[in-house]
Amino acid sequence: MAVEKNYGNSELEKKLEDRYYYTSDSNKDFSEKVRDISGTASHMCFQCGTCTGSCPSAPRSSYRIRVFMRRAVLGLEDEALTDPDLWLCTTCYSCTDRCPRDLAPTDVIMAMRNLAFKRDIVPRNFLKTAQLIYTTGHGVPNNDVNRAARVKLGLTADPPTTHMYPEYIEGIQKIMDYYKLKENADRILSEGGN
Amino acid sequence: MAKEFEHSYAFFLGCIAPNRYPGCEAASIRTSAKLGIELVPLNGASCCPAPGAFGSIDLNVWYAMAARNLVLAEQMKKDITLICNGCYKSIWEVNHKLKHNDELRDGVNEVLAEIDMEFKGSIDVWHLAELLYDEKICGVKKVADSVTRPLSGTKIAVHYGCHLMKPQKERHFGDSENPMWLEELVEALGAEPVLYRNRMQCCGAGGGVRGYDILHSLDITNEKMINLREVGADALTEVCPFCQLQFDRGQIEIQENFGQVYNLPVLHYNELLGLAQGMTPAELALDLHAIDCSPFVEKIGKEE
Repeated sequence: MAVEKNYGNSELEKKLEDRYYYTSDSNKDFSEKVRDISGTASHMCFQCGTCTGSCPSAPRSSYRIRVFMRRAVLGLEDEALTDPDLWLCTTCYSCTDRCPRDLAPTDVIMAMRNLAFKRDIVPRNFLKTAQLIYTTGHGVPNNDVNRAARVKLGLTADPPTTHMYPEYIEGIQKIMDYYKLKENADRILSEGGN
Repeated sequence: MAKEFEHSYAFFLGCIAPNRYPGCEAASIRTSAKLGIELVPLNGASCCPAPGAFGSIDLNVWYAMAARNLVLAEQMKKDITLICNGCYKSIWEVNHKLKHNDELRDGVNEVLAEIDMEFKGSIDVWHLAELLYDEKICGVKKVADSVTRPLSGTKIAVHYGCHLMKPQKERHFGDSENPMWLEELVEALGAEPVLYRNRMQCCGAGGGVRGYDILHSLDITNEKMINLREVGADALTEVCPFCQLQFDRGQIEIQENFGQVYNLPVLHYNELLGLAQGMTPAELALDLHAIDCSPFVEKIGKEE
């Protein structure tokens, strides 16, 4: 038979109404934002470590996906977003396929990276790829050696993408400008740092 | 439109195949034609965009940019086929998400309206490898029947890559722990597929890690190379030019940074299929590969 807990301490009872545990570093909004962006219920994680055990990055770094799952639950925003290990996930989804709670830790990482970018925390290489796509439509653009090889193969020197039809690049720029991505990338890169 | 083709697709090229390994592009077009599959250029397509780089920065931009590529194919009234796992993640997954999530789709269409486009959800997306395996489109037997120069006497290991089959519950390929369908496709070419330790491990390049921490990324690749050396594979095949780049150029970078030498030729499955259908190394631009493919090519047909 269920018994209603009564500690006879109104302050304690008010505290216990919220079943989640928060420390002074916790940001409740952070947990909710990560949940909404990732679409996965991190608080269901029971910390078994199957994710870290499946992770190709774990054996060669201090990156522990299980720790990031815990940070998502506890709302440890600063700790999660300022940790350089956040960017060591190769997004291989092994953890997601093996999670016994059917969660998607990979998508939690992606959500945290999105939130980090909003605070200007992002490695330079990500921004440089974005800049290349803005100007050429390609993350890995063509070059002269490759153009010569393509012609030898009977292909067009430039592929029939934005390279051959640069008139399409304007549409790409409009999409990226809608989200101010280029503007932010340029600004963050010009401010320097890592 | 040519009538002799049973199937026709808009061919989404991505970046690394056309701009670094054009042999993959040429081989895909020619080998597919022999199997009754027409690959029509998807004019004006861009980067998928890179799921690691773009998805990490802002998922909304990733959706909208991938949707633009999808709309180009919708306008052609053709399903998309592609030859890269990274592109598959962007193009297939965004198509799937937008078809099943009205809120997301409305948001994307609001952005696309700025460039007079609208995502309708009228087409499907396929990896060329799955079409080759699909009995309704081609099938292993038809692939085997197209072979004029069997790759006999060679041992070939398969790297599946990640984004084609994982996450399993969002895909339709079934078990992502021990798949065998690419091995069947390799066997159809007359080669002996070989299994190796931790076969499904990532190549190490994805998620922006190759650009962020090259040594970390190469160390993952090196672990795979050690496992591949253990089984004496003559070549490694994959269905993702980004994995190909990581294994092929990565071996040079591993030599420079870790001093280990493997010299294992790395070929996209469509390049292998091209060889088996009689295309020459020159027609596949194998000279653009960082690791010399000729020891493998010379071994073909010479039983031990």
